[in-house]
Amino acid sequence: MSTGSNSRVRNLEILAAKIRRNTLDICMQRGGYAGQGVALADIAACLYFDELRPDGRGWFHDRFVLSNGHDAIMTYAALAEHGSYTLEELRTYNADGTKIDQSPIEGQLGFEITAGSLGQGPSQAAGIAWAERQRGTDKRIYCLFSDGELQEGNVWEAAMFAAHQKLSNLVYIIDNNDLQASGATTNVMSVEPVPEKFEAFGFFARRVDGNSVTEVLEAFEEAKSVTGKPYVMVCDTRLFAGIGCLREALPMAHYVAQNAADWEAGLAEIDAKIAALAGGA
Amino acid sequence: MNQAHQLEKFEAADFINRTHRPIPRSYGDALLAAAKKDKRIVALTADLATPTETDIFRDELPERYHNVGIAEANMIGLASGMARAGEIPFVHTFCSFATKRCYDQITMQAAYPNLPIKIVGFLPGVATLLGVSHQAIEDVAIMRAIPNLVVLDPSGPEYHASAVDAALAHDGPVYMRLKRPETPPENDIVAKDFRKGEGILAREGGDLTIIAAGLSVTEALAAADRLAADGIEASVVDMASIKPLDADLVIDRAKATGAIVTAENHSVIGGLGSAVAEVLCDAGIGLPFKRVGLADRFAEGGSTPYLMKKYGLDSTAIIKAARDVFGKKG
Repeated sequence: MSTGSNSRVRNLEILAAKIRRNTLDICMQRGGYAGQGVALADIAACLYFDELRPDGRGWFHDRFVLSNGHDAIMTYAALAEHGSYTLEELRTYNADGTKIDQSPIEGQLGFEITAGSLGQGPSQAAGIAWAERQRGTDKRIYCLFSDGELQEGNVWEAAMFAAHQKLSNLVYIIDNNDLQASGATTNVMSVEPVPEKFEAFGFFARRVDGNSVTEVLEAFEEAKSVTGKPYVMVCDTRLFAGIGCLREALPMAHYVAQNAADWEAGLAEIDAKIAALAGGA
Repeated sequence: MNQAHQLEKFEAADFINRTHRPIPRSYGDALLAAAKKDKRIVALTADLATPTETDIFRDELPERYHNVGIAEANMIGLASGMARAGEIPFVHTFCSFATKRCYDQITMQAAYPNLPIKIVGFLPGVATLLGVSHQAIEDVAIMRAIPNLVVLDPSGPEYHASAVDAALAHDGPVYMRLKRPETPPENDIVAKDFRKGEGILAREGGDLTIIAAGLSVTEALAAADRLAADGIEASVVDMASIKPLDADLVIDRAKATGAIVTAENHSVIGGLGSAVAEVLCDAGIGLPFKRVGLADRFAEGGSTPYLMKKYGLDSTAIIKAARDVFGKKG
């Protein structure tokens, strides 16, 4: 499988680094879900700058459904790079009166559903996928949810429908970071083996390194070649992946209070990374 | 061990605790103490340990603690099974998920069989940064409608130990909505008592009565202070027991003061205000009456003081309603 030119990958890696930087910039104001935003930067770059088919007029041809509301930080940080939000407005995240909800509501730019009550995205994405197919469109539907959400029975009810209906226009993206609010998913309530579970439900499943732009792009390409089945990419990620100093200091920080992280050290590291990537391009 | 240590450190920075400093666990300590006395008590949580103050139970009685993962409906079913086998399960998550997400499970597996399952919700009403998905603005309304179920809305952490006692004193299902402090309190928390079915007359005045529950009690007392400065003396009732409701006290205050305002961190539909109105109507008492609560709309995420003010739940809103009913008295 080819993911195209090296410059395509390099360009997305630079965007991912900038998304990481935006995440820190936003969360350092009043705290937030920084670890997730940083870890999801590679997937976000691939989605918003490639896979969702940006239409050149500021929006996208395909549809993205965010299920786990607290990962909204990923969308905000990516859409800032896209020009749909300014960093100035995003810096009001967690402030009273802000439009930048920690857990997003529909109607707000970038969000198809009101998320935050976990496990409800996969059904709605499957419903959208069925309706888009019924209407004869070529839109593809992507739904991001987390490994912890797999503990909600609702996810598996959705998976059963998606496979039964052979929704090949549907891609589930699982942020498999082995962390939920109360600890490591492995310790709280194991969800593995995730790909095998989805295969048993009738999906085409692929485990990928969620912090490899190349692997994420390859999975997206493969998903388009699969017929008669929905596709699930189980993306292994770890909190703060891509910013070593924060990764090391806060390996279990599901939520990061404003005064709990050395934000400046994180910014310095990611700035150096951006400079190195740009220099090598 | 290393990982557990890190976890503890950063759970202290969870999304309720705004200060990154330890906050007393009035509820968690009381539950642990009760469990040490009564071996039938088990605790379950759906991925929320520190935010439901059950981390201390997890650490001290791990053999009687279950983190079932993000699976609230399953948690009710597991609790039902445990109760059917002789245990007394306390289940924990946020109010929104503890009620709306498992309503049918609660009805069929806790309430109808009348099992001693204690459903403990945190983040009552609008009071959270997490927004609509996490705001329980209709939980009292729907839980109050379920037969056999007791509904408690204590006004602050000083009543949380008493809420555990009240829950255990009722041989059946209980729902309580608790608000954990967002910052460490300035003074030590001194435990106070309340009982199922009994309101607390927190302040006595003859001009009108403010009947409040949960977070709104503090606002009601502040409102009464400001009204007194203007010569209007209000009684304030802390109605921590919403079901069963202290009908005798409602009727007594209606007759003694001739005007009533209700105040709650909940929709005006179906909660404390509705419950008080039902008692008054059933008793054939007509009087000036106003409900202070969320006006049949959704809110948004924000700090508690911001949301209480913006959505008309704070002392200023209560004062306005109090002046209105007082002015209408014959």
